[in-house]
Amino acid sequence: MASFRYALRDTFRLLGRHWGLSILTLITAASVLYILGFTALFALNVRHMVSRIEGGLVVQVYMKKGERADEIHARLEANPMVSAVRVISPEEALERLRAKLGNQAKAVTLLGKNPLPWSLEIQVHKVEHITPLVRDLVVFPSVEEVLYSGKLVERLSTISRASSAISAGILILAVVISALVIFNTIRIAIYSRKEEIEVMLLIGATKTYISLPFVFQGMFLGAGGALLAVGGLWATYAAAVNAVRSALAFIDIIVNHRILVQFFFLLFATGATMGWMCSWLAVSRFTSRALRPK
Amino acid sequence: MDIRLAGVTKIFEPDIVALEDVYLSIDKGEFVYLVGTTGSGKTTLLRLISREYLPSRGQITVGDVNLRKISRGQLPFYRRDVGVVFQDYKLLPNLTVFENVAFVLEAMGIPPRIVKNRSNEVIDQVGLWRRRFLKPPQLSGGEQQRVAIARAMANSPSIFLADEPTGNLDLRTSEEIMRLLLSINAAGTTVIVATHDQYLVDAYRQRLVELHNGRLKRDERRGRYFIDGEL
Ligand SMILES: Nc1ncnc2c1ncn2[C@@H]1O[C@H](COP(=O)(O)OP(=O)(O)OP(=O)(O)O)[C@@H](O)[C@H]1O
Ligand SMILES: [Mg+2]
Repeated sequence: MASFRYALRDTFRLLGRHWGLSILTLITAASVLYILGFTALFALNVRHMVSRIEGGLVVQVYMKKGERADEIHARLEANPMVSAVRVISPEEALERLRAKLGNQAKAVTLLGKNPLPWSLEIQVHKVEHITPLVRDLVVFPSVEEVLYSGKLVERLSTISRASSAISAGILILAVVISALVIFNTIRIAIYSRKEEIEVMLLIGATKTYISLPFVFQGMFLGAGGALLAVGGLWATYAAAVNAVRSALAFIDIIVNHRILVQFFFLLFATGATMGWMCSWLAVSRFTSRALRPK
Repeated sequence: MDIRLAGVTKIFEPDIVALEDVYLSIDKGEFVYLVGTTGSGKTTLLRLISREYLPSRGQITVGDVNLRKISRGQLPFYRRDVGVVFQDYKLLPNLTVFENVAFVLEAMGIPPRIVKNRSNEVIDQVGLWRRRFLKPPQLSGGEQQRVAIARAMANSPSIFLADEPTGNLDLRTSEEIMRLLLSINAAGTTVIVATHDQYLVDAYRQRLVELHNGRLKRDERRGRYFIDGEL
């Protein structure tokens, strides 16, 4: 417990001694994490929009005249790609048509008999599922026609994949850059206290005792940078939400607070963990070398 | 804790033989002068005992610990039991006298109140009470020497190694430091002092071990600095 207090005191001494460098590191980590958070939020929104559209995507299957849909319905229910299936009887289809067309619908029933076939409405979990599903459905002899918005589907999944790939790339880059910056700052701090550390090791200080202030410093810089980034992102995102709502109302931006808070927390944890690991690595390399007997 | 060196040789790459085939046995509570011309291997011997160096050949045991077998994790705990006054003091110039002494105790996880009491106690013992808030560059050589001694004795080690603790000091200060070392020894601590100080060695006769070109030349119970007739 006492050790912990000494470590905290020394952490602030370290930060104070290198305040210029500390601020620079903080700003760098914050900027890089901001860029990371920004792209991730962008990708998250693209995913969200795609899934919104996906939710509305329906594959419609029309049966041949006189064929019922029960067999296909049963098979689709067992299919893991399918999120919902509904059988539409000719009567229901006629009701819908009436509702849509009003008086003009009378023409349909002029023949006296309902001319509409049995049909199915299928919803899938993901856009990618549509193409294979359609391929499976068209081979049924009882199926007359399968309708779906093919081109849109393919484009959407391409966009979604690309934005995920780009944000993953930026994520790796951002983590590497901020890790290097923090690692380097800690190394400079260690070298500025080189003699002190060597004397401490000669006198019987443990590796943990020596490392703690540096590890705290690294965590402080990582977490602090992340906190600044989260603040910046919050402001930017709030502005973006307003702008989108007034100018581009058709775009469905994420405003779910729980998702956003989770996301920001993840960003913060990333920063802190990174700071912790980098500083531990830097200081433990140094002490191990210093403790090796000659 | 007894210190035993058996056939200890220390060779620095590529071919500097600092110590050669040294057998030496020091019992718990002894006071030993380590003398010899410059470059004879005194500092090397002390550094082998504090496990800064490992011997090239031979074994060193302290108590029942073979120094070769100490792991990196155990090393700090071994060193806490060996107080060292370095030839170049190794005081931290940015810390005050008090802080220089206190940080050894802090490193051991001792609570602040006890750290404060014990630090003040040893600082008072070495006579630096009124200098406790000064930093090493503001102190005289003898005062810095005494800070180094206070730091090494702060956690009451069982072995006390002092490398030329009276180098460059006037007679009066040297005697004060000598009395300090003797009082540490009187409390039961094994003390090994590497020194060139002929006056002290002859005035306070103790066991004397002389090295010459890395070899053990003399080991006398109450030896004089020079062998009779050498002068
Ligand atoms: N780290 C080292 N690397 C190479 N050679 C060394 C090292 N340490 C000591 N030596 C050599 O070993 C020999 C013994 O050195 P040591 O420091 O033990 O002598 P000493 O008896 O303490 O001398 P002094 O009285 O001048 O302090 C010297 O020749 C020195 O150059
Ligand atoms: Mg020496």
